[in-house]
Amino acid sequence: MVLVLALGDLHIPHRAADLPPKFKSMLVPGKIQHIICTGNLCIKEVQDYLKTLCPDLHITRGEYDEETRYPETKTLTIGQFKLGLCHGHQVIPWGDLDSLAMLQRQLDVDILVTGHTHQFTAYKHEGGVVINPGSATGAYSSITYDVNPSFVLMDIDGLRVVVYVYELIDGEVKVDKIDFKKTTATTHSAH
Amino acid sequence: MVRKRVPDWLNSSLWYTTPADDRLHRYSSPSPTTASAADSEPNHQPPTPAPPSPPPVAAASKPPSTPNPPKSETRDPVNKNSNNNNGGNDQNGGSSGASPDDISRQAQLLSELSKKVINMWELRRIASQGIPDGAGIRSTVWKLLLGYLPPERAQWSSELAKKRSQYRHFKEELLMNPSEVTRRLEKSVACDNDESKSESRGLLSRSQITHGEHPLSLGKSSVWNQFFQDSEIIEQIDRDVMRTHPDMHFFSGDSQLAKSNQDAMRNILIVFAKLNPGIRYVQGMNEILAPLFYVFKNDPDAEMAAAAEADTFFCFVELLSGFRDHFCQQLDNSNVGIRSTISRLSQLLKEHDEELWRHLEVTTKVNPQFYAFRWITLLLTQEFNFADSLHIWDTLLSDPEGPLETLLRVCCAMLILIRRRLLAGDFTSNLKLLQHYPSTNISHLLYVANKLRIHKP
Repeated sequence: MVLVLALGDLHIPHRAADLPPKFKSMLVPGKIQHIICTGNLCIKEVQDYLKTLCPDLHITRGEYDEETRYPETKTLTIGQFKLGLCHGHQVIPWGDLDSLAMLQRQLDVDILVTGHTHQFTAYKHEGGVVINPGSATGAYSSITYDVNPSFVLMDIDGLRVVVYVYELIDGEVKVDKIDFKKTTATTHSAH
Repeated sequence: MVRKRVPDWLNSSLWYTTPADDRLHRYSSPSPTTASAADSEPNHQPPTPAPPSPPPVAAASKPPSTPNPPKSETRDPVNKNSNNNNGGNDQNGGSSGASPDDISRQAQLLSELSKKVINMWELRRIASQGIPDGAGIRSTVWKLLLGYLPPERAQWSSELAKKRSQYRHFKEELLMNPSEVTRRLEKSVACDNDESKSESRGLLSRSQITHGEHPLSLGKSSVWNQFFQDSEIIEQIDRDVMRTHPDMHFFSGDSQLAKSNQDAMRNILIVFAKLNPGIRYVQGMNEILAPLFYVFKNDPDAEMAAAAEADTFFCFVELLSGFRDHFCQQLDNSNVGIRSTISRLSQLLKEHDEELWRHLEVTTKVNPQFYAFRWITLLLTQEFNFADSLHIWDTLLSDPEGPLETLLRVCCAMLILIRRRLLAGDFTSNLKLLQHYPSTNISHLLYVANKLRIHKP
């Protein structure tokens, strides 16, 4: 039972001051085992804050990040699942399923987490699942101003993943979930 | 003011044994201790001669003026009864040849246990003299004494089956992690949404969460929230279980056996903590659990040993029920809490040995809380070595009024046995002595404790 927090596109301090207080009150240290962040934090203080929630933090570079040394993409294995992380501004057309599927095949992962569009989506295709956690602060994007703050918490339990979607709609936190199973176990190939 | 003099029998040199000898003699060479002459048995065999028998015990074979003590306490903790066909498991590969007293007690116990309906009064009487190690019957006797097994033999199998399945239920319910819980909740709420509806691509459908259950929930009734709150207690339990008896292979080390035993103890304590939200887990409960689990797990009957975890759980609950109030911090100052029990001990000491009491509490100002706290809350498991504490527990558990009364008497006896050293010492040396109680002959200790019951001044 591993809890993985996926979030991104906070754009602090340029487009938003901070996470919504209702989100902040829920995110307490000690509950989450991993954090994966799609990028565009943008400053180091946000990284420090996330580090207090969980020491295992993975970040990929978004185009407005002030820290230049984040990688463009990242892959990690948690339990039976391989997760891939990328900001998404590199994949054009932005938010397009086919292009993201290409990236997923390239990275060879089961779950690909990307951002940039500031809209929560969860797609499924033959290769796996693509999740976009949206913007955790509700910052405006290059495409639209109408953004609801959202983030994603994944509960990885064996071959099953339950994806909890937290959205702030009209000042209230709404939680939904998505279930999916993997059919075969990951074979750990020697590198 | 009339000073109550210490009764002569207490001051006699009989009660001061040299500590080292007994232990060595017991564990090394075959040393059946000579049975005391005063014996309730009608046909008492002549004591088997044994060169290295500890001197005071030999001297004690003719106790001076006191009437024949009804319970003679010579005991050989770890011997294999070669005389007895039922020579059961023997943990320490000890000596051959038991004291006739032991054999007779063992025979009595076995005969009692084989009856259709066990006479509990009789069982308690025999058990309070000590249960011989050789025949592996301690496990069964303790279960009877703690009321886990009913006195009617015929009901044993059904009772055991019932209790064991109950424990299994507890474990399933309480040790499930929240992911599984939510899965079960969903199954009960909605019929399984068809996994087979796998379109090869497209938007994944979002579904509602059941009962507002999500991992970051801060609601009091949320499964997840409770899980995270419990995780602190579980960590505490884990730490304590790992620290239990680090010198014993049964409890500690890298072996498969130790690991599985630790797991079992952890499960028991977690289930107990979850079922008792008022008291949860308090440090020290692991020490009370350890002897119970050890005895039950080492039951020669394989089936009983396999179910040791479930049996230990219920016996642990039963044993702790008398002492719960000692572990509850809020009750510390009430008249059921630990402070009041300690003051009862103090009172008992004052009744039996006023001189010592005065010296300890008034002159040297050794507050009984400094030493008696551990004695009482942990039922003397930390003061003596493991085998000795098993023997003390034999006597404690067989008291029909409950272990507390006997416990206080044993504590009082512990103080009286070292009275000379205490009277000669000041605060520091007395405290040191009491917190590291010197090793002593357990038989004597229990004998003196028993005498305190009879000779109430």
